[in-house]
Amino acid sequence: MGPVSLFIPCTVDFMMPRVGVATVRLLRRLGIEPRYHEQQTCCGQPAMNAGYLDRARKAAKHFIDVFGDDDVIVSPSGSCTAMVKYHYPELLGGEPSWRRRAEDLSERVFELSQYLVDVLGIEDGGGVFDGTVTYHESCQILRRLGVSRQPKALIEQTRGTTFVPMEQADTCCGFGGEFSYRYAFISEEMVRDKIGHYLDSGADLLVVSEPGCLLNIAGYLSRNNPEKRALHLVEFLAGPETDENT
Amino acid sequence: MKIDTGNFVRNAKLEMQNQYARTFLSLLPPYIAARRVKVMGSFPDPAAAQELSRAIRAEAVARMPDLLEEFEKNAIAAGARVLWARNAAEANEMILSIARERNVTMVTKGKSMISEETGLNDALAREGIEPFETDLGEFIAQQLGRPPFHIVGPAINVPVEEVCDLFMKKAGMQEETTDPVELGYAARLFLRDKFRRARLGITGVNMAVADTGAIINVENEGNIRFNKSSPRTQVSVMSPEKVVPTTTDALHLLRVLCRNCTGQSISAYVSIDRGPREPAEIDGPEELFIIIVDNGRSRLYHDPKLREALRCIRCGACLNLCPVYAKIGGYPYGWAYSGPMGQVLNPALLGLEETGDLFKACTLCGTCREVCPAGIDHPAIFLHYRALEVKRKRRSSGRWEAILFGVWGTAAAHSAVWRFLYRLARPVLAVFGKKGKIEAMPGPFAGWFGARDLPVPARRTFRDQWRESLSKQGGAS
Repeated sequence: MGPVSLFIPCTVDFMMPRVGVATVRLLRRLGIEPRYHEQQTCCGQPAMNAGYLDRARKAAKHFIDVFGDDDVIVSPSGSCTAMVKYHYPELLGGEPSWRRRAEDLSERVFELSQYLVDVLGIEDGGGVFDGTVTYHESCQILRRLGVSRQPKALIEQTRGTTFVPMEQADTCCGFGGEFSYRYAFISEEMVRDKIGHYLDSGADLLVVSEPGCLLNIAGYLSRNNPEKRALHLVEFLAGPETDENT
Repeated sequence: MKIDTGNFVRNAKLEMQNQYARTFLSLLPPYIAARRVKVMGSFPDPAAAQELSRAIRAEAVARMPDLLEEFEKNAIAAGARVLWARNAAEANEMILSIARERNVTMVTKGKSMISEETGLNDALAREGIEPFETDLGEFIAQQLGRPPFHIVGPAINVPVEEVCDLFMKKAGMQEETTDPVELGYAARLFLRDKFRRARLGITGVNMAVADTGAIINVENEGNIRFNKSSPRTQVSVMSPEKVVPTTTDALHLLRVLCRNCTGQSISAYVSIDRGPREPAEIDGPEELFIIIVDNGRSRLYHDPKLREALRCIRCGACLNLCPVYAKIGGYPYGWAYSGPMGQVLNPALLGLEETGDLFKACTLCGTCREVCPAGIDHPAIFLHYRALEVKRKRRSSGRWEAILFGVWGTAAAHSAVWRFLYRLARPVLAVFGKKGKIEAMPGPFAGWFGARDLPVPARRTFRDQWRESLSKQGGAS
């Protein structure tokens, strides 16, 4: 198998580069040297969800051109992975040659925990965290990719960590992209519930594998419960290093 | 019934201030979800049972025109009269003329979503024919003059105190009580009298079996059975997608329907009736009319993307588990159908103009798709509606969103432009930042900041860091 190609979502690239940095650090610790195509932009998910299919197609074709020949593409986002894996073939359904390329690509894209656990058989990321941790089951990771056991296995194998369950862990946090600001009055209530379940779980830390959910959850914590933390799974596994965020 | 889908946001905000509804809605989903999972577990293989019902619905809808003809033939052979209505007005007029010809001044009704859709009660009342809903929840909703809060539990949100007041005023209840059993008894006394006098009963249809001409109704109160057995004349109103190929198919759907609907392995009453009363039978109507109301279904049938919407069996599982429904309840959806199935059906049947919020107020979490025993991919249909709306709006106006996505599309296809635009946008956004976070911002994203902060967009993006240092730290390559 060829080198692992990093698919860094634009939310991570622009808003949370530390998640991308942690991805590199974790992979290297596990003996995997990643490559990164600097021409990558956005997978097109926001345009598709807003109904701008022609714009989403432009992004999709660019993505296919950039990543087309890579053997393994790994992303710290389930929704972006699902976009490429399941929506590209459909989105490009009207253009047979592009559709074939999209279908071909579909097999080679993985969400990070899925890749580590299912493909490499790694459940021990080599990290250390002293405390209790709970996990939010992001919608696309859980229901689109069917990934749930993998991130929890990685959390449980972390030294010093005790996994604790959270009520309604599989209920949406209320992000939903444009839903979060267009219907903020509903979205806020949903994320408030999510944080309530996190607090009730008694966990020291909430781990999330989806950048969108993390923006929502961490954004709510920052405003309302600044003493509590939420981290991306890969940050949690890679462990703290220097402050690379800005 | 009044269409109020255009006021989704206003009505949702209003409902969210209703403390009773909020409490109720916070308790319902976990309870019903657990109950559903438990009773689905009584299938040897729940996932296989769900797959089978999906396949049955897909096949039934694909063969709908032929199955309807087969059903009609067999229903007529059993003595029923089958009428076809193109739209709501025609359906209501058929029922009105049946009532007029028989000099009927009041009718009893079993719960029927299609009659909510056609506004039958209002049409009857305008002609001086008094309709009485006989499903307890529907009776309460009718007396309160409200739309159904939930397709299965139309008044499930109404507190007992309010039901008490209502029954004192409108259902002849003599003494105040908040005991649900007493309240139920009061409604029973009131409605029994109506059943005794009713000469025309109107019910909906859960399934119409093509190969026998039988109609199946599923309920827990027995009122539908009353409607089907007591009045001299009975009208069954159905939308065309209720037809299923065989009794075997129907029985499987019945198992899945009850489990997904109320978490029961079977409902208290299941009525399977074929034609009117036969000479040797002790009850049943002397004449049976079956009215098949198209009201837009043919159009959906011929739409390759929307045909799937016809698979819905009205179990309500998607409502019970939808995290947005759990916050706002059923009223904001503004018409006969609420929750995810309403977000699919209301725009399909009413058009996209006044239903925009229905297909946008969704996080695409996919719980509805996962739970749907009919195999509907609700989020995919919402995306389809969104794309249709964009197409339509783009022609008429250059909204900021269209401009934004126009620029975005060009940038997403050219990484240099993408990076350049980020360099331009970042300082603008950073103006609103303090100590690494943004707490408020004007413009289209303002809503985000009501309860949440946002990190200030990074000065050094991941790509910058990769170029400057990360790529050089690697050992292996």
